[in-house]
Amino acid sequence: MSAETETSSRVATRTYKPAMPAGWWLRKGHYFWYMVREFTALPLALWLLWLLYEIQRAGRGPSGYYPPSSTPFVVFSVICLLFALYHSITFLRLAGVILHFKVMDKPVPSGLVVASQFGAWLVASIVIGAVLIGFGR
Amino acid sequence: MAEKRITVRATRFDPAKDSEPRLQSYDIPFSDDSMVVLDALNYIKSHVDGSLSYRWSCRMGICGSCGMTVNGTPKLTCSAFLRDYWPGSITITPLNNFPIVRDLVVDMEDFMEKLKSIKPWIIRKQEMPLGAGEHRQTMEQIDDFRQFSQCINCMLCYAACPVYGLDDKFLGPAAIALARRYNLDSRDQGTKERLPVIAHSDGVWECSFVGECSVVCPKGVDPAKAIQQTKLDTSVRFILPYGNRE
Ligand code: SF4
Ligand code: FES
Repeated sequence: MSAETETSSRVATRTYKPAMPAGWWLRKGHYFWYMVREFTALPLALWLLWLLYEIQRAGRGPSGYYPPSSTPFVVFSVICLLFALYHSITFLRLAGVILHFKVMDKPVPSGLVVASQFGAWLVASIVIGAVLIGFGR
Repeated sequence: MAEKRITVRATRFDPAKDSEPRLQSYDIPFSDDSMVVLDALNYIKSHVDGSLSYRWSCRMGICGSCGMTVNGTPKLTCSAFLRDYWPGSITITPLNNFPIVRDLVVDMEDFMEKLKSIKPWIIRKQEMPLGAGEHRQTMEQIDDFRQFSQCINCMLCYAACPVYGLDDKFLGPAAIALARRYNLDSRDQGTKERLPVIAHSDGVWECSFVGECSVVCPKGVDPAKAIQQTKLDTSVRFILPYGNRE
């Protein structure tokens, strides 16, 4: 290639790079639900901070402790529960995408992987629930 | 019977004259139900305005060059039928997240560099002499990576990825899917050479699993799956010392 053509082929073209609009996540339902999924971490973190505070309060002994039961707290907890469920369900469904292994040289179907995750979740919830209720008595 | 017509709006941008892109509207005949969006653009170029610029080649969903944004969604315009939009109108803009060179043509340089960076070829520690014959593979071994080898480099996944839109240092869906294609290939021994790029913070860890790349992919490559699987594999390699052995 001659020096001249080499230079001319390198002439920079002016391009236009559109900026990503701040409301990009409203463009599609898929983007919106992704943002909801990411946001669920925030109320969960708040609720866990509250739990730490409750544990600290309970640590001072049973005499002065009373469990929080005001309506705003119950409403807050129910909202947090819904976010936690949404987060857990989307997270466990991911397992079908991520986990890939073979049994007897055949890939395990992703539906089975997801079902096993939900099964494990259910068993863990029952065990934790039983332990908490058992200790509460 | 009156001739069916459809309104097509297309992005126009002349870097020598325009400060920013604008939309131009064309009213064209929709003469045949088998017409695709690319046919509409070709009609405009042949009969209305020869200066309209866009890329295309095979017209059959193979070359990957005709990707554009059609009514907000990244599409291969040769595979998007007008009948799916009619009687509504169609707005065709360049692929999101890339610099616009002219009209509907985007700059592919960054994408090409990213593809190259993951060394998309079979790497052997030691080449076998030709006389030793082929590297044989079973059908099961091919099945391990077949899905990830279907990519046609159309860049629709990059246009759909908000992570790439917000930070173009991200290696991106197709490049990671291609890296996985080679890492899963039983003939390849180059995973360690690709790791610095794919396990980098601008590699798989930049992805927060929006998942839209897999939704728009016209070839069923499922790059989101490739990325999440690579995250798991690189973590296992990191945690387990023996995982780092070849
Ligand atoms: S992964 Fe799919 S969408 Fe992305 S470049 Fe390849 S074929 Fe196109
Ligand atoms: S023209 Fe080749 S994929 Fe559309």
